[in-house]
Amino acid sequence: MVEPLLQLEKLAVAANGVPLLRDVSISLEAGERVALTGPSGCGKTTLLRAVAGLIDPVAGRVRLRGQTPGTLGWPAFRRRVILVAQRPVLLEGTVRQNLSHPFRYAATKAVFDESRALELMEQLLLEPSRMMQEALSLSEGQRQRICLLRALLVEPDVVLLDEPCSALDAAAAEAVDEVVLREARRRGLAALIVSHERESIIARCDHIIDLTPAREAV
Amino acid sequence: MEGSVPGAVALNSWQLVLASSFVLLAGGISFALRLGLEKRLALASVRTVVQLLLAGLILRWVFQLEQLLPILAVILAMTAIAGHAAVQRSSRTFPGATRSAVITLVLSTWLTAALVTGAIIQVQPWYKPQYLVPLLGMILGNALTGISLSLDQILQTLVSKRDQVEMELAHGASRWEAARAPLSDAVRCGMIPIINSMMVVGLVSLPGMTTGQILAGEDPFRAVKYQIVVMFMIAAATSLGCVLISVLVYHRVFNARHQLLSELIIKRHN
Repeated sequence: MVEPLLQLEKLAVAANGVPLLRDVSISLEAGERVALTGPSGCGKTTLLRAVAGLIDPVAGRVRLRGQTPGTLGWPAFRRRVILVAQRPVLLEGTVRQNLSHPFRYAATKAVFDESRALELMEQLLLEPSRMMQEALSLSEGQRQRICLLRALLVEPDVVLLDEPCSALDAAAAEAVDEVVLREARRRGLAALIVSHERESIIARCDHIIDLTPAREAV
Repeated sequence: MEGSVPGAVALNSWQLVLASSFVLLAGGISFALRLGLEKRLALASVRTVVQLLLAGLILRWVFQLEQLLPILAVILAMTAIAGHAAVQRSSRTFPGATRSAVITLVLSTWLTAALVTGAIIQVQPWYKPQYLVPLLGMILGNALTGISLSLDQILQTLVSKRDQVEMELAHGASRWEAARAPLSDAVRCGMIPIINSMMVVGLVSLPGMTTGQILAGEDPFRAVKYQIVVMFMIAAATSLGCVLISVLVYHRVFNARHQLLSELIIKRHN
């Protein structure tokens, strides 16, 4: 039997000791896009952080093709399951330096492909001239797309996208949606996307999972 | 006066009382300009007298020690106080910070001081308190400044750049790869004061030890040779100390799952 690409098994998360979500079980296959919705503060971001292994879940575990992050090695696991946080974090330096940064890590086996980066930039409605621009001088929406691009260039198996379109206009949000879909078809990229229901990216996901706590949903 | 060095002018109690009039001058200025510092100045003056007289008495006793164990106890006490002071000066802290600072100081300053007394000055035995205690005191005083600066810098950076460190971890950086830039910054920050003082030593002022030796009747050229050894010794201990404290912080705030445990870093309320 082939193990699912990414499996969340009865995951429970808490923030500052306050329990947020429990018994979250989700399976993600290659090329699949799953949306997570729910009210603000219900634990969506915390859940993504736990899946990425930046924090420990209170209970449950995550497996990638049946293997735990501990077996794979945490950096190797995170290279394959990349979290793109809602608040875009870029380093000092040009966009190019930011995009090539993850290729310094021992866990990143590939080399930085500039032509591929330019191609994806265009698809994300970013002019190629931005490549040599100071990353910190970009607008919030541009930074958000550069962060997504930086993650995609490493060619992860799964991206965990936390509100990927929160700072984008409709056209840019559509472009993000298209790029994720294209990567899903091209090489089986799976995506776990936290977003508000009103975002168009949600509508085109394969599944939508509502994380609203039971007592609120009634 | 017993035990004084030939050539040194021994001070009697009246001369000390006369010197205290300088403090009265400072107090007068504070009063005239309504600086409100009189009480603090009085307390600081009393502390200066009491602390130094006590130190003199204790050192007189320590210098008579010949056994290694009581000397070790004395230098351990000095090191523990310095470790505590290093942590107190940092604006942020973490559980086990004092222990880390003391371990750092033991490893960096003891090793350097022992090398200087044993291999460079070649005192017999190497732990002769008359040499070891003041030299170690000087190294501790300087190393603790470096260590507290490094400690403050690394904790401050890990809090302010937490998002950046976690972004790197999220893209597959190992904890070492994600922490390398903050660690280098911290070591650099701790080493700057000693490098700066090495740049101007002898030009702007003479260090306390050289001044003391000259006042005690030593030939200035012989005194500065000691100072050269001391400066290098302090530089070595400070660099080693800054690296060690940064590595200890790193091991405390990153776990084996390559997570940053930022909740361990807490702001100190002074």
